[in-house]
Formats: sequence, structure tokens, C-alpha cells
Amino acid sequence: MANDPIHQFQIAKWIPIEIGGLDFSFTNSSAFMVATVGAAGAFLFLTTSSRGLIPSRLQSVSEMSYEFVASMLRDAAGSQGMKFFPFVFSLFMFVLVANLLGLFPYFFTVTSHIIVTFALALLVIGTVVVYGFMKHGLAFLKLFVPQGVPAVLAPLVVLIEVISFLSRPISLSVRLFANMLAGHITLKVFAGFVTSLSALGFVGVAGSILPLLMTVAITGLEVLVAFLQAYVFAVLTSMYINDAIHPGH
Amino acid sequence: MEAEAAKAIGAGIACLGMGGAGIGLGTIFGNYLAGALRNPSAADGQFGRLIFGFAVTEALGIFSLLVALLLLFT
Amino acid sequence: MGVAVADKNGPDETGKTGPGEQGRPDIRDDDLERRRQKLEATLATRRPDRREGGEGARSSSTAGYGQALKLSSEFIAGIAVGAGLGWAIDRMAGTSPWGLIVFLLLGFGAGILNVLRSAGVVADQGLKASDKAADKPEKEK
Repeated sequence: MANDPIHQFQIAKWIPIEIGGLDFSFTNSSAFMVATVGAAGAFLFLTTSSRGLIPSRLQSVSEMSYEFVASMLRDAAGSQGMKFFPFVFSLFMFVLVANLLGLFPYFFTVTSHIIVTFALALLVIGTVVVYGFMKHGLAFLKLFVPQGVPAVLAPLVVLIEVISFLSRPISLSVRLFANMLAGHITLKVFAGFVTSLSALGFVGVAGSILPLLMTVAITGLEVLVAFLQAYVFAVLTSMYINDAIHPGH
Repeated sequence: MEAEAAKAIGAGIACLGMGGAGIGLGTIFGNYLAGALRNPSAADGQFGRLIFGFAVTEALGIFSLLVALLLLFT
Repeated sequence: MGVAVADKNGPDETGKTGPGEQGRPDIRDDDLERRRQKLEATLATRRPDRREGGEGARSSSTAGYGQALKLSSEFIAGIAVGAGLGWAIDRMAGTSPWGLIVFLLLGFGAGILNVLRSAGVVADQGLKASDKAADKPEKEK
């Protein structure tokens, strides 16, 4: 059905593959992930390959994105955190390009599926936990015990800190997923108003100008949200990495 | 089946309590904003109390959510 | 070139140019170091300044929008994780309904902590012992 706002999120198997009873099919979601990686990589590679001392417009865009993420990571995690720069930068570019690609009509939005965003968030938290334990050993667990808490309150505080830590991947993934999902559904619903109103004849066509304007405005808002969510994702990633590098202080 | 339906209805009614918490939160944040607009320099100092009020009010909302969850899942 | 300058400057103060020439590379190094540090300091002060200033001037409303989204989802995530943990513990240990009750309340506390942390009121995890000790009991009420 054309007006179903959920239809755009359906996953279609393009090349069914099944290995050992597990479903490894190449779906439209995987296709757009490949497209995202390809677009981001090609953009960064092609725009910086001329290496102009005076950057062209596109080259300065990629340099700006580099600078942006680098300064964000340096602010959050210090110069020690810069070894995670490739990780954070790839995450930022992936989320940003996936969000922006999803804005094209008839394109699939990769980040509107919670399994994708949750996998990204688990990757972040997994990196934090593994690196924290590798670098600090069991001292990493001091993250959960703030100094100067009275002994009576300590178990309670530790429990709360643990839950707070566990809630990070959830909030990280749900925020991105919910924003993209809600934005695209709103867009679809308003666009659906235009078609169903204009089927009513002349008055309907006149009346459909309002939802059309809304659609345009929401598209603008969605571009903003796409940037904002990628930014928030990268900022929080660098903050969590900061926890892994300096757990005790 | 009857008991299940009654549980679901009860959970829905219990969630009405969240509405009360919502009204309370609106009052708190609205008054905070009103006060902050009158005296912006004092606003930052009261942020802790704002969050305290938010926590206490929201706790009562959480209780009703808790009752609803208990009805649904136990 | 430095020697030439020293000769020109101090033809009659030979005693001064001697140590001056020796000290000059050091001074220059010091100077360079000092200037580099100063540059770094200014850069460090200017970097967040420029970004925050630019963002604040351009779109303080969008920053507020992002902040609101962030805070609400942090809070809800805390509660959701608490409830989920409690439910799972009940399921495994058979302590129905107590796990759910206790962990939902703990998750509520964690949600408030998340909100406070991302609002920047409480310092980051493990930071500022005194702040946290002061804040914690307040939250438990």
C-alpha cells in the first residue's frame, strides 16, 4: 500500500543466502550499508586526493569533518584518546552518511533499524570495556565506585552506577533509532496527506499546499537531525572512551 | 483470559497516575522557567533543586509505572 | 647572521656578547618553546570558544533541542535497563515481584544520575568525589 508509513522500513531479501541454517541474505539494508561505506570512502578519498594546499570546496568539507571530529575527541578524551580517532571518525561518517542517504526518496534508512544502531552502540561499549580492562586491569572497576562515598551507601551507589553504565548502549542506540524512525514516519505521513488530499479535486489540491509546505520544512529539519544525531553519537562515543582511558579520575 | 483482560485494563488504569506526574513536572519546570526569566543570574544556582524536585515528582510517576509493570508481568 | 647582529650591537661590550652568543641558542629555544606553549594555550582556549560561540550564535535552539532529546532518552534508558534487569533476575531467581520493584527504583536512580551527568551538574563517572557524595543521598530520597 502506497500510504503505509511503515512500508519504507521493511527489509527485502535481494540475494537469499543461507549458511548452516543461519540467514546471511544480502538485503536492501546491507546494500545501503555498502552504499554508505562506499559513498563515505569515495567522498573522503576523491576530495582529498588532489591534496591542494589551498583546498577546493569539497576538500575543505572533508578537512572540516576531520577537524571537527578530531577537536571533539581531543576535548573529550585528551591527546591520549587520539589513538581512537579512526574508530570515532569512521563511526561518525557512517552514521552521518547513512542518515543523509536515507533522506533520498525511495532509499532505505539503515539507521532506522534498532538492530543496526544497537550493534554500533555495542561496538562502542565493547571497545570501552575491552580497552579499559586491557589498560587498567581490575582497576577499571573503580569506574563504578566513586571516591568518598560512605560505606553504608556504597553497595547502592555501585548498583546504580552499574545500571547507569548498562543503560549507555541502550540510550545511545535508542536515541539514534527513534529519531530516524520518527522523522521518516512523520515525513511519510505528511507526504501521504498531499496525495490523498489532492485526489479530492480542486479544493483538495488547494488544501494540499499546507502539508506540502510541512513536508518541505520537515525535510529541512531531518537534515538537521541527521547531522545532530551523528554528532551526538560521536560525542558520546568519545566521552565513553574517555572513561576507558581515565577511569579513576 | 478474563483475568488477563482485567490485568491489562488494570495496567492501563494504573498508568493514569503517570499523567499526574506529568502535570507536576509541568508545574515544576514552568515555575522554574518563570523564576529564571525574572532573575536569570540566580537560575543556574537552583538547577540542583530543580532536578531534586523533578526526581521526587517523577518517583511518584514511576510508582504507578511500577504497578502497571507488576500487573502485566507477574 | 646571529653573530653579525651581536657584533653590530655590542662592539664595545665584548664581555656581554660572549655569554650572549652562548646563551642565544638557548634563549631562542626557550623562546620558541615558550611561544609554542603560548600558541597551544591560545589554541586550547580558542578551540572550544570558537566552536561553542559559533554554535550558540548559529543555532542555540537546535542545541537545546538536541539536549532535550539526549536528556529524555538518557532518563528512559536508565529506567528501561533497571526494569529489564529486575525482570530478568525475577525470571531466573524466581523472586517475583521483588526484583522488578527494587531494580526499577534503582534504574530510576540511574536515570536521574544519567540526566545529571549529561547536564553537566555531576562530574563524569568517578570524578569529583565530594560533589557526588553530596548529590547521591539527595537522589535516593
